[in-house]
Amino acid sequence: MAPHSPGTDQIDTLLWIGFVAAAIVVVAVVGGLLYVLRRYGAERGAEPRQLTGGRGIQLRVGAALGAFAALILVLSIVYTGKAQETPATGAAGLQASSSAPLKIMATGQQWLWRYDYPNEAFSYYKLVVPVDTAVELDLVSTDVVHTWDVPDLAGKRDAVPGKTNHVVFSADEEGTYFGQAATLSGQAYAPMRTEVEVVSPQRYEAFVEAQKKDIQEAQDRVVGLIENGETP
Amino acid sequence: MSAPTANPELVVDGFPSRRPRWVEIATSADHKDVGRLLITGALGFLFIAMVELLLMRLQLAVPENGFLSPVTFNRMLSLYGATAIFLFALPLALGFFYYVAPLQIGARGTALPRLGQLGAWLFVAGATVLYAGFLFTPTEAGINPFAPLSSLAFLPNNGVDAWAAAAGLATLGFVLVSIDLVATLRRRRAPGMAWRRLPVFSWAAAICSWLLLVIGPVMLAAITMLLIDRNFEGIFLAGDAGGSPLLWQHLSWIFFTGAYMLILIFALGAIAEIVPTFSRKPLFNRGAVIGSLVAIAVLGTLAWMQNMFTAPIALGWMYFAMIMSLALIVPFGLVFFNLIATLAGGTISMRAPLLFAAAAIAAISIGLAAELEHSMVAVGWRLQHTTDSTAATHFALVGGAVFGGFAALHWWFPKMTGRTMGETLARFSFWTMLLGTLLAFVPLALAGTYDGQVVDAYKFFDGTGVNAYNLIATIGAFVLAAGILMTLVNAILSRESGAPAGPDAWGADSLEWFALSPPEPHNFDVLPDVRSARPLRDIREAIARRGGAGERPRARESQPVA
Repeated sequence: MAPHSPGTDQIDTLLWIGFVAAAIVVVAVVGGLLYVLRRYGAERGAEPRQLTGGRGIQLRVGAALGAFAALILVLSIVYTGKAQETPATGAAGLQASSSAPLKIMATGQQWLWRYDYPNEAFSYYKLVVPVDTAVELDLVSTDVVHTWDVPDLAGKRDAVPGKTNHVVFSADEEGTYFGQAATLSGQAYAPMRTEVEVVSPQRYEAFVEAQKKDIQEAQDRVVGLIENGETP
Repeated sequence: MSAPTANPELVVDGFPSRRPRWVEIATSADHKDVGRLLITGALGFLFIAMVELLLMRLQLAVPENGFLSPVTFNRMLSLYGATAIFLFALPLALGFFYYVAPLQIGARGTALPRLGQLGAWLFVAGATVLYAGFLFTPTEAGINPFAPLSSLAFLPNNGVDAWAAAAGLATLGFVLVSIDLVATLRRRRAPGMAWRRLPVFSWAAAICSWLLLVIGPVMLAAITMLLIDRNFEGIFLAGDAGGSPLLWQHLSWIFFTGAYMLILIFALGAIAEIVPTFSRKPLFNRGAVIGSLVAIAVLGTLAWMQNMFTAPIALGWMYFAMIMSLALIVPFGLVFFNLIATLAGGTISMRAPLLFAAAAIAAISIGLAAELEHSMVAVGWRLQHTTDSTAATHFALVGGAVFGGFAALHWWFPKMTGRTMGETLARFSFWTMLLGTLLAFVPLALAGTYDGQVVDAYKFFDGTGVNAYNLIATIGAFVLAAGILMTLVNAILSRESGAPAGPDAWGADSLEWFALSPPEPHNFDVLPDVRSARPLRDIREAIARRGGAGERPRARESQPVA
């Protein structure tokens, strides 16, 4: 996995900070424990001094721990704030979205994602977006809770029935990014995957137009069949 | 009652029972019988949870495996979650509290014994209901059955109802046991047993009981809503009719997060009894440890929304949860610091309880370090719902309930049975479990962090880079299970054939070791007069001063006037 959006860049940085913090915790506790067990494990016989610690050392240790926690808190708030900012659309992106992000509706349903584009075209499973363009996904669900998760492009978010959740990202490179639903949603949860295809703005516009035309033709064909009294 | 061989001066303690042993146990309201019922039941369900985990790991050993069908996998997953939390970890912790705390405070029994008995039997009823689900269809809704997947529209069979009834009965039982514990710790302390002298494990019992009085009813409310929604056309958890699926998430996470803290507080409380004894030093700072355990219960439960970073809630709520989670660094850090400082400078004897306690500290610290990452909001967006969260939870809870629980089991086994658990098998079990835990959960953490493998999925796909991780995790789960099985076998065998233990098996400081092993129904013939936080040590010293140097106190000896 590699970050391909400004938001996931920030998440990746904070992940490393978190990893360092966690490593400090593990090394301090496990290392300290192993050290005292080795150092004093061989003592025999003598009754040890009945040492206890006073309030002073507890306050100092507590203050050090508090400072550690406060540092992590500040860093987390800084990077989380940056990670959830709506990115700007760049020069290579879709110019129509330069002022407001391209809004696409992502609907979770058992066990497929449906994407509705601004021009009323829609697609299942595969989302096509222009490169270097701010995209805002409105996540909704028609049945149970689903989690939309394409880790290279954005942090994961739940689609909860009755609520709308938001994901923003701006892909920095053309290509295909894979994702998988991340909340148990029933029998076919594991194969409920998705794919984001990042293309040039021209190809994006061609795709949504072609998709719209295809959908329209298919609907017309069905309507025509019904009007002729045939079963579609 | 077994004959008190160590004390030949008193031969007859009661009338020989005319009823079979199982009738005695089933009808007894003695806190020791009820506690043993809870502990034995919990260890039995540990075995069952382990079997379910192994079946799931077998399915996930290789990509796109067809060993279990998706429905069977989801059933195993749901049963595993309910069994591990409601039928293993919580009753184990409460069973030890209920057995040990009245002894530690020098009580002759609990304040409301029938209430505790009813609680334990409600746990048995809950377990029966959950597994009776096999007669029709067990639940498929997952470890935490989120609405609306748990609603009638998506799971129309009665599995979810069985889950709800089982979890509800067990939770109600735990609340009743907690009420008895709160009342007992309030009213039945021996003369001189002030709160400041209460052993840390009894403090843990008090904290956890109060915690259950808060979180238990929250879960019962959530379960009631779920049952009304499913059976009486309620709309509490429906997304489109005036309720909200998020309501279930809030209420259930308050309970599960509180229960998580409860299990850790139980383990740390037991470890705080074990570590001082085996390093022959008092706890480095009792007050700081006790205060930290209180803070863990409060802050930890308030951090429930840490589980909802991906849900549609405002960023401010996520920051609130993060502040509470990160604040936990201080109390957990102080507890770890004081435990290690107690060992430092001591004369350490590495007996089985201390081995398990040390592994519990290490595993809990690894799990909490991972949870620390998950509580950083943006990192949570990346790591939550991946197998890294599975690994974090399992490090902390296997550390707390299994390693910590086994430390408590080895430690109090002599008190409960009069015999010590075999040390050699304990060591084999320990090293196997340690290896198994690392093999089972480190690869899952890596798969979740670097390849984003998602939780609860019945299969994973080839080419996603997680094949090796999952195969190693499966092997590790089997190694861990083998280690756990060794301790369960050790416990069963040692009941009959373990080395006989005296009343004071380890040279500890608290009053449960003043009673016989196993204690008589009334616990103590003579109530000791407590003068410090280490009452049994005072008694030993007083005896030494009287000339009986080196002699262990006899159980029936009243405390000599110092």
